[in-house]
Amino acid sequence: MSAFYEGLAEIFEIEPAAVGPSLVLADHNWDSLAVVSTLALVDECFNCLVEGAALARCERVSDIEALIAAA
Amino acid sequence: MTGADAVGAAAPGFSVAGVRLLGVVSALPRRRLENEAFVERLGAEAVADVVKMIGVESRYWVEDGQTASDLCFAAAQRLLAALDWDPASIDALIFVSQTFDQRLPATACVLHGRLGLASHCQAFDVGLGCSGYVYGLWLAASLIAAGCRRVLVLAGDTISRVVDPSDRATALLFGDAGSATAVEHAAEAPPAYFVLGTDGAGAANLIIPGGGFRQASHDPRRPAGMDPEHLFMDGGEVFAFTLRAVPKLVQDTLKRAGRSADQVDSFVLHQANQFMLRHLAKKIGAPERVPINIDRFGNTSSASIPLVLTNDLAARLVAEPVRLMLVGFGVGYSWGAALFDADPLGCAETVSA
Repeated sequence: MSAFYEGLAEIFEIEPAAVGPSLVLADHNWDSLAVVSTLALVDECFNCLVEGAALARCERVSDIEALIAAA
Repeated sequence: MTGADAVGAAAPGFSVAGVRLLGVVSALPRRRLENEAFVERLGAEAVADVVKMIGVESRYWVEDGQTASDLCFAAAQRLLAALDWDPASIDALIFVSQTFDQRLPATACVLHGRLGLASHCQAFDVGLGCSGYVYGLWLAASLIAAGCRRVLVLAGDTISRVVDPSDRATALLFGDAGSATAVEHAAEAPPAYFVLGTDGAGAANLIIPGGGFRQASHDPRRPAGMDPEHLFMDGGEVFAFTLRAVPKLVQDTLKRAGRSADQVDSFVLHQANQFMLRHLAKKIGAPERVPINIDRFGNTSSASIPLVLTNDLAARLVAEPVRLMLVGFGVGYSWGAALFDADPLGCAETVSA
C-alpha cells in the first residue's frame, strides 16, 4: 500500500484497503478541508504542487493521479 | 550599509548592517474564548472539523471599543519602560495593521500623540497583515541604514472585528493581539538579511471588499448574503499559495545569507493554521525549530510572529544570542522573511491590555 493511499484513507477516515483509483471522492466528503489536506499530502508524497481548483474538480482517485502525472 | 555582498550576491534579497533588535512586547486583550463558545452558532461537528485542521483551542478577542492601536499602545508603553527609552529619542514609528482606528488620519500619527513622541519623529501606517511584521522590520532596518537611530515597529490586528461569525472558514481561526518592537542603530551589529515579495494575482482570495473607495464587485465564491465588510478567505487557494511560496522563501533567505538550515536556531513562521505550519516545518526540514502557538492564540495576523517571540522564545531571547528567521506570508499575496542574529534582548514579554 502506497503512502499516498494511506494518507487518503486517513483524510477520508476509511480503511486503507478501500482506497483505489476508482474510489468516488464525492462519497467521502470531498469538501474544502479534504482538498487542502490532499494538496499537502500530494506535496509530501510526490514533492509536487497541484492546483487547488483542479484538485477540487477531481471525481475519482484516478483523476488526482492524472493531475500528479501531469504536474 | 545595504546592498549586495560577496556571500549571497547572486541570490534575491537584501542585507542591512548596523541594525539591532532590542526588545519585543506583545499585548493580548483580556477576553479569552474557548472553542465551546462557537458550538451554538456553528454546530459541534463543524467546530470539530475546523479545529482538527486549524488547531486553535483558544484565542483572545478585544471587547467593543478596543482597537489594535490600544493593544499596540500598551505594548509600546511597557517596551519603552523596560528598555528605559526616552520617547524623545525615537526617530520613527511604523504602525503595521489592517484594522486601523480611522480611515484617516494614519493611526501611526494617533499613536505618536498618545506615546508623546517628539515632533522630529516620522510616523506612518503600513497596510499589510500576515507578512506585515517582516515588512515593518525591513522598513525599520532601511530607515536605520538611511540615518535614523531608533525605530519603533507597532504591529497588531483585531481580525475578530471583521469576521462573519457564521463563516466556519474564518470564525474560529483568528485571535487579536498587538505588539511593539524596538530596533536601534548599532554599528557593530552583523548584517540582517531580507527577502520580500508579492503576487497581486491572489488579492481576491483573502479580502474585505467593502469599506474602501472601490465598489465591491460580486465574487460568486463569497457565501450568499455575506456583508462586504466581512473577511472572505478561500482557504484552499491561500493554502496552495503558501505551499508554493514559503519553502522557496526560506530557501532564498538562507541562500542570501549564505547559510544552511542548521545555522538558524529558530524559524518563526506566521501562525496561519496548525496543519499548514506542521507541513511547512517538515518541508523546511526542522520541525523541532518551528515553534507553534496557534493553539493558544489563534492566527493574530501581523502580531503572530512577535507573539511567538514573546511567549515561546522569550526566556531564550533574553538569555542568549539567537539566530532567528522570521517568515510572514498571506494576504496580498505578500510575503517576507528576515534573518537576524539577535543579541540577548533587553525585553521579551507578553502583557494584558
